Amino acid sequence: VLFFLSYINLVKVEPLHQLKFLHTTLSRRGLEEFFDDPRNWGEKTVKSGDAWNIKQLRGKSSEDLHKLWYVLLKEKNMLLTLEQESKRQLRPMPSPERLEKVEKSMKNIDLVVREREIALRLLQTGHEKPVPGEWRHDFLGRTYWYTYKEWPIPWYLNKRHKRKKFYYLPHVNHFIRLRLEKSLRRRARRQNLERTRRKVLERKFPHLAIKSQSQ
Amino acid sequence: MHPCGRPSSGRWGGRRRGRDTTPPPGSVFVEPIAKEDWKVFRGDTVQVLAGKDAGKQGMVTQVVRARNWVVVEGLNTHYRYVNRTAKYTGTYIASEAPLLLSQISLVDPEDRKPTEVEWRYTEEGERVRVSLRSGRIIPLPLQQRRDGIVPEQWIDGPKDTAVEDALDKTYLPSLKTFEEEIMDAMGIVETRRPKKSYWY
Repeated sequence: VLFFLSYINLVKVEPLHQLKFLHTTLSRRGLEEFFDDPRNWGEKTVKSGDAWNIKQLRGKSSEDLHKLWYVLLKEKNMLLTLEQESKRQLRPMPSPERLEKVEKSMKNIDLVVREREIALRLLQTGHEKPVPGEWRHDFLGRTYWYTYKEWPIPWYLNKRHKRKKFYYLPHVNHFIRLRLEKSLRRRARRQNLERTRRKVLERKFPHLAIKSQSQ
Repeated sequence: MHPCGRPSSGRWGGRRRGRDTTPPPGSVFVEPIAKEDWKVFRGDTVQVLAGKDAGKQGMVTQVVRARNWVVVEGLNTHYRYVNRTAKYTGTYIASEAPLLLSQISLVDPEDRKPTEVEWRYTEEGERVRVSLRSGRIIPLPLQQRRDGIVPEQWIDGPKDTAVEDALDKTYLPSLKTFEEEIMDAMGIVETRRPKKSYWY
């Protein structure tokens, strides 16, 4: 770990007639941010506070959230380098719960921003989803939610899109019927199982039978 | 290692009894108790009503809600060997077996006798456990955090935010999206127009 910061690069360039010898150093500003505070190097555990709560993040402005996101990102990079280095040196990583806390906080920030975006969109357009879509059939007769995609060319010029079939031919009806029968059979089996398990429970715990009768 | 997750399916040889045996799926019937009706928590003092240590009181160390199990410290124990190796027989220790909720009863705090308990609301609107025999409130045991941190004794580190800064509300609702607000704050002006794209 330490070799990285103390490495200085000296490059000698062949001098042309006018130029003198050129010395350049590797720009190493800010690389120390990939590593923890030097006082924590070699420790078995590092103390860390709680992750950011959604309730606390909901009261922060967009600027604050933006800054916090990058602070958390840099902390995550530092912890990931630490994790990789401990794997390389075959040693346990000190306090791996910090990584979970950082990821949880970043997920919470993402959730808060998404909530605000959805609220604004609902107000202005009445739609919840950022991308429009609709229910369509596929060539096997199944119904699924098709989300619209962004294309550079219109649909009548898009050869790949025209090959996709959003309809099914009449010979598929037989298989739709079979699929329906299968789902009905599974539902009946599940309901029967629940009924038999409930009967067994009522036999073992009679008070449940009395309660269900009174309700 | 067995290919399935179960300890011993008996496919190759005998079935191991005792340690780490999971019952076959669908064979365990657990009395359904609603989440809000649950009365016993970790740290509670309970009295065992049935079994080897009937009549003794102890503290609950573990609760398994899925099976309605309660593990009481030092009671209903059986003995086993731990840390067995090829050469060493292992340490002989007492390990507690779980007790069902029906074999357990909560204890009145002053009487120290087993009572029936009900969830009721106080004058202030707080939900508390009340013993039916005497009407006394059984206080909830102290809930410690899983990471062992005690919030009252916490001192902030260099990377921790202070409590006032964390709870400080800086959000002003506006009709701008997150991206627009950031662009305003950083002084970014976008003059490029997006190219015509098609959505389908």
